Amino acid sequence: MSLRRASPFALAALALAACFFSGREFVSMRAADEIHPGPGLTAARLLSDWFPPLRGTPGDTPVFVFRGAAAGGAVLVLGGTHPNEPAGYVAAVVLAENIRAAKGEVIIIPRANASGFTHSDPQEASPQRYEIPTAGGKRSFRLGSRVTNPVDQWPDPTIYVNPGGQKLAGIESRNLNRAYPGKRGGSLTERVAYAIMALIKAEGVVMGIDLHESAPEYPVNNAIVFHENGADLAASAQMALQAEGFDFRLEASPPNLRGLSHREWGDAAGIMAVLIETPNASHGRLKGRPSAALVVEGRDAFYEKAAKLGRLFVPFGPEGIPLKERVARHLAAVSALLDALREITPEKSVNIENMPSAKAVLSQGIGSYLHPPN
Amino acid sequence: MIMRLIYHLIVLVLAAQTAWYLFREKKFWKQAGAALVLILFLLRLALVK
Repeated sequence: MSLRRASPFALAALALAACFFSGREFVSMRAADEIHPGPGLTAARLLSDWFPPLRGTPGDTPVFVFRGAAAGGAVLVLGGTHPNEPAGYVAAVVLAENIRAAKGEVIIIPRANASGFTHSDPQEASPQRYEIPTAGGKRSFRLGSRVTNPVDQWPDPTIYVNPGGQKLAGIESRNLNRAYPGKRGGSLTERVAYAIMALIKAEGVVMGIDLHESAPEYPVNNAIVFHENGADLAASAQMALQAEGFDFRLEASPPNLRGLSHREWGDAAGIMAVLIETPNASHGRLKGRPSAALVVEGRDAFYEKAAKLGRLFVPFGPEGIPLKERVARHLAAVSALLDALREITPEKSVNIENMPSAKAVLSQGIGSYLHPPN
Repeated sequence: MIMRLIYHLIVLVLAAQTAWYLFREKKFWKQAGAALVLILFLLRLALVK
């Protein structure tokens, strides 16, 4: 066979080999991170238990239940609504791997949008994973996308009208935090939102906490966004946080901004709904080169410069805002909200034990409160 | 499900045309270009984004 005749076969073979090796790496993104719930776990369930049509779909996700011996209320903690906001996800994992409930019930969903963890935002050069050192080696975590994987939900409409009637850009049809209260027969994202609403109603949740991060140039930052049902709760928690040295601002959930957890959980289920935001340089628009180090260490020269120019809504010095500080802020906020719930409705309060304190996470690192990798 | 089938069909047609072009084309660099495009279509065909 002449070289000219052989070349298409050789090139086709090379193309297949490239497909195999790159495809294998991409498919590895779909493997879920390991989570090792602590001894306080009373039930490991799936979100589809509350909405069976979700079973077997990429939207189904683990739900960890911690129930105390004494009767009390139920609290829902959500991480990973936006899988490119790592502190919310890691804080939920830290809670799941450590806490015990003494009174009431804590329900934790660390990967609320499981599909969003299986891909990365296009054209962002995002690192695939980041690592946190523990006593027994490094734990690896996926950095996903803000939205559901288009492989699981396609195509996007030109304009998305969410279940609350809000008109949004088409890509927001894959944003879990625009899809509440969900739709039984809707898109995958809307069905996940519907399942979370079903869980809230079935379990009698009294307080829902949605853990997020936002870009340092975004005004809603280091903030507790609250539904009016939870105004007293959020104000009480904020005062406690300020006294502890964690600066948080209060943001009222706008009644006409539909589809968000802090709005629809309160409106549709009547619960005290709050959303926590911490500053994350790795998904801001002003950052330099994206990297796993930026996710974990949170240092960025461009953000430092932007802070000097007064363009940010949070302080940003040469030390950056590391992941452990952001996780600590989330843990401090959850703890303060639980204390506030105890003040406001003692009969519906939830007491948990063995929760890592924010100060301990700051001094000892996140890895001290994570199970070593298998 | 129907949208996924339509997507597969579109990508399959484009992948087949590119493969046909790769084997029909005489010039090496044009063949190489077709092979590169074929990689993207094959990955898409396997829903690897």
